[in-house]
Amino acid sequence: MKPSVRETEFDVMVKQTGLPLSAEQKATLYEAYWMLEAMIALVNTPMLPESEPAHMFIPEVR
Amino acid sequence: MDQILTIAEASRLIAEKKLSPVELTTDCLARVKAYDDTLHAFILLTEDRAMADARAAETRVMAGNAKGPLDGIPIGHKDIYNTAGIRTTGHSRLLEHNVPTRDATSVRKWAAAGVVLMGKLSTHEFAMGGPSFDLPWPPARNPWNPEHFTSGSSSGTGAAVASGMILGGTGSDTGGSIRGPAALCGITGIKPTYGLVSRAGVLPLSFSMDHAGPMAWTVEDCALLLQAMAGHDPADPASADRPVPDFTSDIAKGVKGMRIGFVRHFFETDNPVSPATLSGIDHALDVFEHLGAEISEVKLSPLAEYHACGWIIISSEAYAIHEPWLKTRFNDYGELFRDRMALGGFIRATDYVQALRRRRTLCQELKAAMADCDILVSASQVSEAPKITDVPKWGTMEKPSLTMPFNLTGYPAMSVCTGLGSGGLPVSMQLIARPFAEATLLQAGHAYEMAVGTRKRRPEMAMAEAAE
Repeated sequence: MKPSVRETEFDVMVKQTGLPLSAEQKATLYEAYWMLEAMIALVNTPMLPESEPAHMFIPEVR
Repeated sequence: MDQILTIAEASRLIAEKKLSPVELTTDCLARVKAYDDTLHAFILLTEDRAMADARAAETRVMAGNAKGPLDGIPIGHKDIYNTAGIRTTGHSRLLEHNVPTRDATSVRKWAAAGVVLMGKLSTHEFAMGGPSFDLPWPPARNPWNPEHFTSGSSSGTGAAVASGMILGGTGSDTGGSIRGPAALCGITGIKPTYGLVSRAGVLPLSFSMDHAGPMAWTVEDCALLLQAMAGHDPADPASADRPVPDFTSDIAKGVKGMRIGFVRHFFETDNPVSPATLSGIDHALDVFEHLGAEISEVKLSPLAEYHACGWIIISSEAYAIHEPWLKTRFNDYGELFRDRMALGGFIRATDYVQALRRRRTLCQELKAAMADCDILVSASQVSEAPKITDVPKWGTMEKPSLTMPFNLTGYPAMSVCTGLGSGGLPVSMQLIARPFAEATLLQAGHAYEMAVGTRKRRPEMAMAEAAE
């Protein structure tokens, strides 16, 4: 499987993270990136606008 | 000593003054010296502390002041549990010289219960990155065959308990890190309900997915250890403020009348398990039915959906914790941890929030599915342990985890050994209960262990030593 983004686009994404990756490390992550994309797609299935997250904000902080 | 004792057995003998905690500890230390050059379960052996703890326990017992069933029991802590004055590394170069000033809450509670601290145990780097060969300490190996993997991240605890170097130990479980090594090392490990056991003083990986819990040879031993860990702790923002039930009083009650569901699609189609794992689960269902439980099939969303949701949450939360070091000390991490972790930097805030929203719907689904079930049965691991050199870097992403659904939902889950596979290594099943129903979970696991008697066989290396 291949990521949906090109390597040049991936370079930009890496720059945005600020991580000091070598070319080899970048290539390793690029090869695995499609698996993360697949997971991201799975959590982005349609939901009702009012679907709340699992975590609730509690004002009385402990 | 001619056999390796369980905690329950040792505890009874100590209470009857037929076994000295000093003798028991000396026996465990001898095993550490015999096996640990091969197994690498310990990052730090605290021999002097162990003997001092054992002598103190012996004094209490002889004076009639024993603290309870854990007094004088040799244990170890996963090296992400802070221990005051004792190095706590997370199995990472980044914390190679880290000496905490305070104990984690669970460390303090077990010490108050009288345990003997044998040392600090190997983990995958920061509870995520193994098995790594580029860290200051080697990865733990499987006592059933040291060429094989323990799973992780509570790898040292799995290896040390199975080989009898300790009788029990702490683990942590963010996506399966107690249940995985329990499964591959052939022991029992319970990930309690989120909030039951304090995470205070345990190095965090993912705030909303991390669980602390015990690992031991039997279900009964896990119940004894859990009893001494559980309870409200104001130092943990997620700690549940509710009474802790007695986990051992009804443990032998059996499963008659219990409703037990099984999620067959998880382990037959979503992530198919080995024939030995499958037959172990099917046999367990037969055992439960024979013991009087009602068995039925349960269907949930595909395992991949639970896995993706959990993975996105873990990666996002862990990246937030590690980002400062990733930016400044990237190459001080082991390759496996830093590469897996770096992917978290590509997750957008909206994806994290979507995962949290999806998490709620999956929690609702599981709650509805368990309305008619006391226990669910699934698999813990797909098969016996692979060779330690055959574990792929991206293995945890390639196939959906069988344990992740219950980190995501926070439900209590336990790995129980069902026997040995064709390669002579353990296979297992996973039992799940409703939130805060650990007593029911332990009851079911104990009923199974008592019915099948699988707890007599230890790894060959440990059996040979015990016979000497």
